[in-house]
Amino acid sequence: MKPLSSLRDGIGFDLALVGAALLFLLALAGLPLVYNVLMSFQKVDMFTLNALIRPFAGFQNYIDVYRQPEFWMVARNTLIFVFFSILGQFTIGFALAVFFGQDFPGAKVIRGLFLVSWVMPGLVVGAIWSWILAGDFGVLNSILRGIGLIDAPLFWKSDPSLSIWAVVIANIWLGVAFNMLLLSVGLAAIPRDLYEAAELDGANAWQRFCTITLPMMRSTVGAVLALGMIATLQQFDLFPALTEGGPANSSNVAQYWSWQMSFKLYDFAKGATISVMLFVLVLIASIVYVRSTRHEVRG
Amino acid sequence: MTRRAANWSLLLALILAAFYLFPLYWMYVTSLKSNSEIYANPPTFWPLHPDFTIYPDVWIRKSMPVFMKNSLIIASGVTAVTVLLGTGCAYVLARYRSVWIDIGLFFVLMLQVLPASVMITPLFVGFNQIGLLNFPRLAVVLATAAKSMPFFVVLVRATFMSVPRELEESALVDGNSRVGAFFFIVLPLARNGILVCAILTFMQAFGEYIYSKSIIQDPLFQPASVGLSAFLGPNSSDWSSIMAYSAIYVTPILAIFVILQRRIVSGLTSGALK
Repeated sequence: MKPLSSLRDGIGFDLALVGAALLFLLALAGLPLVYNVLMSFQKVDMFTLNALIRPFAGFQNYIDVYRQPEFWMVARNTLIFVFFSILGQFTIGFALAVFFGQDFPGAKVIRGLFLVSWVMPGLVVGAIWSWILAGDFGVLNSILRGIGLIDAPLFWKSDPSLSIWAVVIANIWLGVAFNMLLLSVGLAAIPRDLYEAAELDGANAWQRFCTITLPMMRSTVGAVLALGMIATLQQFDLFPALTEGGPANSSNVAQYWSWQMSFKLYDFAKGATISVMLFVLVLIASIVYVRSTRHEVRG
Repeated sequence: MTRRAANWSLLLALILAAFYLFPLYWMYVTSLKSNSEIYANPPTFWPLHPDFTIYPDVWIRKSMPVFMKNSLIIASGVTAVTVLLGTGCAYVLARYRSVWIDIGLFFVLMLQVLPASVMITPLFVGFNQIGLLNFPRLAVVLATAAKSMPFFVVLVRATFMSVPRELEESALVDGNSRVGAFFFIVLPLARNGILVCAILTFMQAFGEYIYSKSIIQDPLFQPASVGLSAFLGPNSSDWSSIMAYSAIYVTPILAIFVILQRRIVSGLTSGALK
């Protein structure tokens, strides 16, 4: 009866609760990840797709991926997509967080409304932006022309020099709210009397921002930037909705390329290889994230 | 802040919100426009002859009942699996402090960062090998639950940390078993937090796309996201239908969000950074 009573009343209870979840995650996230790395070193084609043991390919898949003519373009696009998405989301999000951090009636409710961009299905967000960014009849071009910024319509989705920016714009819109929310949490944690003391000492708003807000927000900013990078590398739905990576891969990024390899070209080995490369990028971001939340993890 | 300044801030806040939410407005406006009005240049910012028949029309023509039903089934399944398995895990991770708990938490945090596009290739091949692709909706539910559970655990853990430990301890002193204390003391106190996180999980799963697109081949089992993608792409042109479809798809989610906005935001702010 000992195991049973432990299950009801002792450490067994905790182990059962945590074990069930961890086993599930291990089976459906941990194992596939390992399997993915394994596949990137194997020859996988339609004939060996169902086989458990496949011929070993060494680094051949990695060399093949690297030799793809679009490799550097995709790498460049991935960097542009990540860097400028984060830049936009973070700066706009920070500005909004500072603004909504002021105490005025309705601040919290209106700030909350911004979060609808985050709860909407990514594919719908992509569809809406696809229509806004349309070349001939898109409303963004009309507005830009109306205020005199451009003379001729910009073909956001079909012009190879603009297509990646179409996805970046949509992704910034999608992510601003979540950035703002997390930064608001950090801002709210700064003691008010610090600002009052600085104000008495004659510091202006900009000085207060640089000497109090920024240093006090260091760990939050680190976490938000890392989470932004992770979320941007996870972003997938906007690509099929907006540009499908085109034209001619000019807006393709690693996460979409990997999917195209597996599910459009049925080259599962290359798909797995690209996603291993992508995972290395994610790993770097998560190390930053875990480091900046480490003291909070212990609660 | 003076009253005058507060009023100006409120006005500015409303303008910013209107600006930010314009894409949403544009979706609804476009869906109500006639085909000639859609291609008017310059565009009209208010539909001249709003046509509401587009909604029942798209609902039938794009066989939305099937898609929406599948989205509902998949999202419910994901939520059920996530809540059933994730709640207990979050509770244990919130209750103790030890090296093992840190390791467990680190493991969960790491799984939170895995992109779906990294996971989909091995999941597809693995599911294919064990025959799970013959049950495509179940396969999607399992894959998506594994994706949403880490975030759920992190958020619900914050909820459990705010339940006073003393209440549970005194229940144990009074002769309750651990099981009894968990189900009758701790869970009821954390109920609201768990509910909000469950709804968040549901909303995310309702919009899930990549797993469904890759795993489910038969249109009878596909969710609304895949149904939408079928007539979307660089060369799409039927914009009023696309926007009407999108509007039907997101309006339930938006309604839930607006109703529960305050709880959702406070649930996120208390847990998301921890």
